[in-house]
Amino acid sequence: MRYDPPFHRTNGLIPAVLFVLVLAVVPFVFDGSYIRHLIILSLVFAIVAASWDLSFGFGGLLNFAHVALFAVGIYTYGILAKTYGVNPWLAILLAGPAAMVFASIMVLPVLRLDGMYVILVTIAFSQIIYQGVISQSDITGGTSGMVTLPMLQIDGYRFVKDGKIGYYYTALALMVVCVGSIYLITRSALGRAIIALRDNKYYAMSRGVSEWRTRLATLALSAFFAGIAGGFYGSYVRVASPDIFGIGSLTLVLSILLVGGLATLWGPVIAAFVIILLSESLGWMGAWRDIIIALMIVAVMVFYPGGLWGVIQELRETFATLRAALMVRMRRRFERAKREGMLGLREEMVETKHGLIAVADTGASHTHTGPPILLLHGNSACKEAFQNQFAHFRDRHRVIAFDLPGHGASDNGDPEETYNVIAYADIAEEILTQKGITNPIVLGWSLGGYNALELTARNPQAYAGVVTTGTAPLNMAPDDFAKGHDAKSHLILAGKQYLTGAEATTFASHATVPKSEKSAFLHRNLRRTDGRARFYMITKLTVVDWPRHMRMLREGQIPVAVMNGHDDPFLNHDYIAGLQYGMIWKGRTTDIPNGKHAPFFNEPEAFNAALEAFIDWAAEARAEGD
Amino acid sequence: MSFESFLFVLTGGVVLGALYALMAAGLAVVWTTLGIFNFSHGAFVALGAYIGWQVGNVDGFALGHVLGLSATVLGMFALGILFQQMFIRPFERKENIVAATVITTLAGATVLQNGMLLIWGPRSKQISGIGEGSLNIGPLAFSWNEVALIVLVAFILGAVGWFLSRTRTGRSMRAVSQNRQAAELMGLNVPLLYALAFGLSAAMAGVAGYFVGSVRFINPTMGADPLMKALIVVIFGGIARFTSPIYAALIVGLVESFTTFYLGLYWAPAVLFAMMMIVLTIKPAGLFGTHQRTL
Amino acid sequence: MSAPLLEVRGLSGGYDPIQIFSQIDLTLSAGESIGFFGPNGHGKSTLMKTISGVLAPWTGEIVLEGQRLNRAGERGSRRWRNFNYDVVTRRRMDPKKVARAGLIHVPEGSLLFPEMTVAETMDVAPVAAAGRGKSADRLAQVHDLFPRLRERLDSKIRYLSGGERQMVAIACGLLGDPKLMILDEPTLGLSPKLRIELCQAIASIKAAGVPLILIDQDVNFLTELIDRLYLFDHGRISGVLEKADIPSHEKLMAMLFGEPAA
Repeated sequence: MRYDPPFHRTNGLIPAVLFVLVLAVVPFVFDGSYIRHLIILSLVFAIVAASWDLSFGFGGLLNFAHVALFAVGIYTYGILAKTYGVNPWLAILLAGPAAMVFASIMVLPVLRLDGMYVILVTIAFSQIIYQGVISQSDITGGTSGMVTLPMLQIDGYRFVKDGKIGYYYTALALMVVCVGSIYLITRSALGRAIIALRDNKYYAMSRGVSEWRTRLATLALSAFFAGIAGGFYGSYVRVASPDIFGIGSLTLVLSILLVGGLATLWGPVIAAFVIILLSESLGWMGAWRDIIIALMIVAVMVFYPGGLWGVIQELRETFATLRAALMVRMRRRFERAKREGMLGLREEMVETKHGLIAVADTGASHTHTGPPILLLHGNSACKEAFQNQFAHFRDRHRVIAFDLPGHGASDNGDPEETYNVIAYADIAEEILTQKGITNPIVLGWSLGGYNALELTARNPQAYAGVVTTGTAPLNMAPDDFAKGHDAKSHLILAGKQYLTGAEATTFASHATVPKSEKSAFLHRNLRRTDGRARFYMITKLTVVDWPRHMRMLREGQIPVAVMNGHDDPFLNHDYIAGLQYGMIWKGRTTDIPNGKHAPFFNEPEAFNAALEAFIDWAAEARAEGD
Repeated sequence: MSFESFLFVLTGGVVLGALYALMAAGLAVVWTTLGIFNFSHGAFVALGAYIGWQVGNVDGFALGHVLGLSATVLGMFALGILFQQMFIRPFERKENIVAATVITTLAGATVLQNGMLLIWGPRSKQISGIGEGSLNIGPLAFSWNEVALIVLVAFILGAVGWFLSRTRTGRSMRAVSQNRQAAELMGLNVPLLYALAFGLSAAMAGVAGYFVGSVRFINPTMGADPLMKALIVVIFGGIARFTSPIYAALIVGLVESFTTFYLGLYWAPAVLFAMMMIVLTIKPAGLFGTHQRTL
Repeated sequence: MSAPLLEVRGLSGGYDPIQIFSQIDLTLSAGESIGFFGPNGHGKSTLMKTISGVLAPWTGEIVLEGQRLNRAGERGSRRWRNFNYDVVTRRRMDPKKVARAGLIHVPEGSLLFPEMTVAETMDVAPVAAAGRGKSADRLAQVHDLFPRLRERLDSKIRYLSGGERQMVAIACGLLGDPKLMILDEPTLGLSPKLRIELCQAIASIKAAGVPLILIDQDVNFLTELIDRLYLFDHGRISGVLEKADIPSHEKLMAMLFGEPAA
């Protein structure tokens, strides 16, 4: 499933609004008409490139007739507004449908072709349009083109006045409307069909996506916006020249698209400004300018295959990594007392081969009558989630918990080495050894449940029992991962490297409870977690020895309790209840009413009572077994 | 229409066809082997013509046709390999190779064209005819230049065809184009074969440029029009075999020649492109082809 | 004791970013043949492709007769205090070099070169052995091994049946004068008659002294040819059985997947 939040819930809205606001303010800062001219050109080519992105990037059609369709828009404007005296505004609007008509004709051969053949046939198609324009000199002006096209005006106010201010804001509004519409299209059902057809044509078709209707819509819509942009461009430069069909403008728009980044939409918009301003600023170099720009484009393609958008993503990743590193230092320095207050314990830093790990340990005491309890927290959480268990069990049991690397107050790990279930179990083993703890009960929550199973399955006899909560044991990844969980849930966020504010809130609310004074620290902790811990953990799921976990459960090598919230939003309860367990408490899985994904946190009394009963039973079961 | 003018148009068509065949075959070699479309092929044509002119022509080093043509072949072969290493090699094995190399070959063409402009200046040049005078057969007269051109092109295409089907290197090249992974596992040197294929293609473009330069003027954008025609040829004929673009090139050359004669200069390209669209709509793999990507 | 023929140490790999197998250690002494057995989709073929250099290894090394085949490039990450950034310095191995060193991999279901004839394919193949000579002998040997191919020398590969293609692929491998051959599911999807023919050919390759790494789903077939059986699932070697200890097919399936639920 593709997790696809609406725009206002992603982090994209604020930058986009800022971008438009800056452009809206520019004319008040610079009143030179040259800079405005460049921005108007950038805005027009941003529309052309963004609409091309719809068919080229999102649709995967190597459609090289796009610039010709842009030219159709220009000529439509010229012919309608000049030859027939149609109102220029109306002519711009009609330029869109005109380009659509041409695109629809092109669909016929494109439908039957794939890949490279589409390039050839679309180039040929644009050549036909070009030849048509050249040969019909009565209508189009032939090789010399059309000049002095009508300009835009309202009530006699000519838009070119006051340093082109009218054109400037018209272009800006046009860009916002066009790019906004394209964005909405890509997020609609049609947009999903377009992307599905690109990614796996036959699968999409077998799921009911009509190939020819979708491709027609893709090409026609992308042509529509190109045509509108062409109409506006015609009214602005007031010339319709066949030069636009040349290889130069194709290279310009294509480099905007590819340098910006395919299928990113915002990339081409940014790249339009970068490339047009760059090529203008190098204008004094003559023939060298084109050489330099061409080499720069190649360099971008070689070193940043994702284009400028890829550069932005890399910056984002560096920033996120830096932020995660800073947050560890902040937590250690300023919030230690708060954390210790929650658990009523001193926090110690333990050196392991995966870095410094923050551990909370009640220590051994003569009052302890039961086995030690090791608590393993889940994805993007922290050891303080178990505060109720510490409070309840510390008198009778030695209780120990630690922050996973990349979480809480622990070090961020080496992503490749540290962020996976096997390494997490290694750390748990190392800490148990260092603390001299033997034969503990291991309780794992969610991801921690997998860690608990991995840890105990290595040597089931060394542990008094294992409890999973919010975990679906697997026999095989990723197949069973899909079976054991509810695919429609927000679980998809569990492997997402960057969570936006809204996503973090959603995920934390589903994983524990909606934000309240009590749960605020869990929500905050989700923001602290190193995003790579989420991402790498998912990519390493394939190399865990899942059958060993399942064998341990099936053959009853260890007393087990499965305590899930009966309303856990992530789990498929039937799957978990249907597994074979050889030695399970009460002979079945245990549901905690209203526990959600974190029953030990949401319903501590019920959970602690159950856990206590399990610990007693586990000791008996072990004794019986021996 | 008299028989003589018919013959005149016919020869013109065959000459055009021969040039298009040379270009299209070069395009097809790259397309089938590397799986990309080389938009700088037109610039290669121009560059080949310039090199030949510089070395062979009286205004250049005046070394004559043989050395001029050899310099074109060797120079373009080397430049082609250099070009491939710079603009195409970095994208091998990338998922977006087709889209990425469209822009990098376009950029490469820009670099080459502006480079030619800087070196040789904006004034057009021309290579003197390969053969002089005319060949008279009875009442019919053929220009020696055209005859020599047709014979040479036929010879070159035959040699390339022989190379691809009979020599081990040529066969390896075909093998790589059909299944890269299997070729690698057999120990074939894939990067070297790719470079060779591109060099071969560039050399063929250069020779085509030399010949075009002897019938038209040389300038940095002289390759654009023949490139478009070669593109039609490639689509028209399909690329199932090395030979199919050659037949298609003859058809395209003849159609162009005759429509120009009967309908006028402006209409000829439109007729060609329309023909091609129709062929593609009805038979997407081309007139002689299967959809398979292979040499 | 002489140096082992093939040594794989700590090999991890996959399709970026998904890791498919991790920390594989494998040692093959001279003259030894081994088999791999395990469920489909658990990384056997990916492992073989990594050993033969089609895929880039993430970590670890591959050594054939003391010659290291992959370059030292490893995927790793740098850490400075808590600023952990990962640097992918994964370098491709060169499959050409692997093949020329004598480690020949016949991948699963190879299509070879559909538009070339059998004779042309065999002409292209022994490039690898050019330095080592003997290719005429090899050719004769291959023709003896696969008499069926002799009749089809001028057919294009695309007109051959799956089994005949597999024979051509193995024949091409043999022409490369292999020191070790990896056969990945050579009998997959063949008709019973061709299967028997191919199995006999593989047995005679083994008998001619070419060690094999054989992947197959038929344990009985494997047992005849190999000295050790590696059980492979979830991207790791989960068990090694000496030839004498290899149980019947049914028992092995039960070992791997548990008793079928009653």
